[in-house]
Amino acid sequence: MVDVSQHELVPEHTVLEEETLEEVLTEYDIDRTDLPKIKRNDPALPDDAAVGNVIKIVRDSRTTDQAVVYRLVVE
Amino acid sequence: MRNSTPKDIGSINFGLMEPEEYREMSATKIITADTYDDDGFPIDMGLMDPRLGVIDPGLECKTCGKHSGSCNGHFGHIELAAPVIHVGFTKLIRRLLRGTCRECSRLLLTEDEKEEFHGQIDEAQKLGRDLNDVTKAAIRQARKKDRCPHCGEVQYDIDHEKPTTYYEVQQVLTSEYSQRIAGAMQGQDEDAERMSPDELAAETEIDLSRINEILSGSFRPRESQRKAIEKALDIDLTEEDTNKLMPSDIRDWFEAIPDEDIEVLGIDPDRSRPEWMILTVLPVPPVTARPSITLDNGQRSEDDLTHKLVDIIRINQRFMENREAGAPQLIIEDLWELLQYHVTTFMDNEISGTPPARHRSGRPLKTLSQRLKGKEGRFRGSLSGKRVNFSARTVISPDPTLSLNEVGVPDRVAKEMTQTMNVTERNVEKARRFVSNGPEGHPGANYVRRPDGRRLKVTEKNCEQLAEKVKPGWEVNRHLIDGDIVIFNRQPSLHRMSIMAHEVVVMPYKTFRLNTVVCPPYNADFDGDEMNMHALQNEEARAEARVLMRVQEQILSPRFGENIIGAIQDHISGTFLLTHNNPRFNETQALDLLRATRIDELPEPSGVDDQGEPFWTGYDVFSELLPDDLNLEFTGTVGEKVAIEDGQLIEGTIAEDEVGEFGGEIVDTITKIHGKTRARVFINEVASLAMRSIMHFGFSIGIDDETIPEEAQARIDETIDDAYDRVEELIEAYERGELESLPGRTVDETLEMKIMQTLSRARDNAGNIADEHFTEENPAVVMAESGARGSMLNLTQMAGCVGQQAVRGERINRGYENRTLSHYKENDLSAEAHGFVENSYTSGLTPREFFFHAMGGREGLVDTAVRTSKSGYLQRRLINALSELETQYDGTVRDTSDTIVQFEFGEDGTSPVKVSSGEDNEIDVEHIADRVLDSEFDSEQDKQEFLGRRPRPTNLSEHADDRLSIESTEVSSDD
Repeated sequence: MVDVSQHELVPEHTVLEEETLEEVLTEYDIDRTDLPKIKRNDPALPDDAAVGNVIKIVRDSRTTDQAVVYRLVVE
Repeated sequence: MRNSTPKDIGSINFGLMEPEEYREMSATKIITADTYDDDGFPIDMGLMDPRLGVIDPGLECKTCGKHSGSCNGHFGHIELAAPVIHVGFTKLIRRLLRGTCRECSRLLLTEDEKEEFHGQIDEAQKLGRDLNDVTKAAIRQARKKDRCPHCGEVQYDIDHEKPTTYYEVQQVLTSEYSQRIAGAMQGQDEDAERMSPDELAAETEIDLSRINEILSGSFRPRESQRKAIEKALDIDLTEEDTNKLMPSDIRDWFEAIPDEDIEVLGIDPDRSRPEWMILTVLPVPPVTARPSITLDNGQRSEDDLTHKLVDIIRINQRFMENREAGAPQLIIEDLWELLQYHVTTFMDNEISGTPPARHRSGRPLKTLSQRLKGKEGRFRGSLSGKRVNFSARTVISPDPTLSLNEVGVPDRVAKEMTQTMNVTERNVEKARRFVSNGPEGHPGANYVRRPDGRRLKVTEKNCEQLAEKVKPGWEVNRHLIDGDIVIFNRQPSLHRMSIMAHEVVVMPYKTFRLNTVVCPPYNADFDGDEMNMHALQNEEARAEARVLMRVQEQILSPRFGENIIGAIQDHISGTFLLTHNNPRFNETQALDLLRATRIDELPEPSGVDDQGEPFWTGYDVFSELLPDDLNLEFTGTVGEKVAIEDGQLIEGTIAEDEVGEFGGEIVDTITKIHGKTRARVFINEVASLAMRSIMHFGFSIGIDDETIPEEAQARIDETIDDAYDRVEELIEAYERGELESLPGRTVDETLEMKIMQTLSRARDNAGNIADEHFTEENPAVVMAESGARGSMLNLTQMAGCVGQQAVRGERINRGYENRTLSHYKENDLSAEAHGFVENSYTSGLTPREFFFHAMGGREGLVDTAVRTSKSGYLQRRLINALSELETQYDGTVRDTSDTIVQFEFGEDGTSPVKVSSGEDNEIDVEHIADRVLDSEFDSEQDKQEFLGRRPRPTNLSEHADDRLSIESTEVSSDD
């Protein structure tokens, strides 16, 4: 099977540490449920991502070089 | 309405209403179906009871004492003789019937399952998911149970017959069980073996005597026996027995559902109990919601809702009378059903499966849900969008003398639409003048408002007297005058530039007039287009419109970040003529060109001609419009370099890519660097200069401009004959089977492709030959080259050869069997038989060519029609999905529930109109930073200090300045 997470077009997905998550949540003044969602069975997710984790996605951007996005892992 | 403070809505609850609540809020119980007595007075406890509110002016409301207009009306109620189902909840009722026990009314889920669904509901709520998915899953789970997990009662299927009938479906022993068993024992098929009663008894473990009794039909087998027999004989002894559930049964059933079981289904038991979905009391809407109208002949005509309520009360009464008289059950049930029908259609008269209730004339009644639903309904028709005051609509026409910020408003419109003037000491004189002009004179007034709030109409008769009375503190509703700001709009409003603010210029005649350069953003033309105008009614709106919505603020399009407003059509031909080959003008000519602009003095002449007269070039004239510090260099429309140095055009031709509508380089740069006001001035002046120059040179087009000499025509004919020959060769090769197929294509496809290629090359060649005979001065060439209108292809088709006609991207293949027209032999593959038009538009098409051309043309028309409607709907859905998204002050994009959609607007947090970049010019940050710094600081020293390269001398210590860089050591501390 092809591991899509290694494909060059799939941006880097990492599980966010709880502490950094807190910072992110305070920065945006939100609950984690207000974040965009990502399904647990999304092939781009790292294997250790569990439901309830927040994933940090760093993608290449045409205008800003790198764009950071956070997503909550859901069922 | 004046002085009413806006109320703050704390919260809104949605839920079911308890019958007792209906009674409590009711002003009166309604018992008679009659509305008015013989004297025309409303009957007490009738449908028009005065306690339900007032509609006739002058009367007093018996409940609240207010008069019509201020009394909102009061509900009444009808006590229903028997409970009926509320049509709005039929689906939920069905779900509850299926999911709860028929005996103990508890949810058919074990405690664990309940717990799980409870958790799922909480989670769905938190994640903002659809609760329906969870509750549906819960019901699905509950339906699987054959028996109640709490009381063990067997559960039956619930059948729902739309709209409001529910049945319990039981599998019971069929009445012809003995025949079926006997038939099965005989064996229906020849080869099937027969079974004797002994064998059956043995296999089913039932006494032989019982079997015999069953076979004789004198004993009905019990359930277990039935199952055994069914298994032994492989037959089905059951039949469906349906048992109708009356609304009263359902109500009793629902009353027993415990609160905690409802919660699992997503219902809040504190607010809504399921039995309230079965109505026992019907609220009667206030008369203000169903006003009756008095016709010209004095007859009263009642609202549809009132008619429906009359029906309900009549049936309700008959029901009660019949029941008290002890009528047979059948009649009672019929009346019950009738009552249900009337209550159902009172709420929704468009239910499938039920005939709609009709008016005497046969028109279906407009009942409650019809008032709310659809485009004309309360939501879309009266709340989201409604007809407004202070608006006007008329045909538009062009006026090149207006600025692009202006709109010409017909005087008769200006006299109708008003602006409110608050009279103060400083404008009393003005205000009096408006009032004294009256409603008919132009800058007049239509109404005045005294400080006590009284509104007086200004008339021809009273205007003089009224004018004298006007004092500070009054309000005057004066006519629109030049300079007022209004909003102007053309539908479809697909982007924000479809609604822009303009300044009024009052003009005679009946059309709105606008500068032609604002046609692209509105997508307007003057073939009968109409546009809407809205006069703004408060100072905030006017200020916002002026600052944010004025046309000049919309020069840059947020779609692609470049100008959407610029020179169009003749303007481009004009600037092209003015600057191409840099023509010379004498003083009068040059001044004439510039006379519609601000420039009233010519610069130094470029030189002196042979007669000793000074002359100015096209470049000089055009450069007068440019800002003095403009520097630009780029490749222009014609493919040559365009260079501007210090506001002087040095070389190049000014055409579409320079000053045009979609990303004209010069307009774009001026907008971004010199500001929107400068850009507005520039566009206005380019338009006027271009009109003057196109008039100076003269510009017209006729059929002779597209006619080519006979010699050229002969060459074109030759090329086309050549192509025909080559096509013929291809066909011959194909018929001989020698044609090699291209990779991935069949031979047939290859042939088609090659023929198409050959013919298209032939057309191009014809076009080139035609081109050779057109000079640069040819008006069609000027338009095509400058980008004003048309292309070289259009020219080719006019002068050379129209070329292959296509339907669905292929040569024309449809028509008769194996041929396109009966003029050709069957299976003729030649060019002319499949829609090649060898003539040009000037030479004229043959009838067959004309027919093929019409085929191709029709496809184009159909395509555009289909495309606009499809993309329109797509756009509507997209806009509806995005409309509530908003960029917050922290740069994130969120919806109304504060969930994040983008963490940074567009990933980069920049607005396309505030940024200048393109495919080939990167953002020049250095340059921008320098420009900002230069304008921000007066002296070089301030700037350096700000940048921190040259710290201020310090007196802290002698050595403190050691950190200064070497080049600035001359600044030593000498304080």
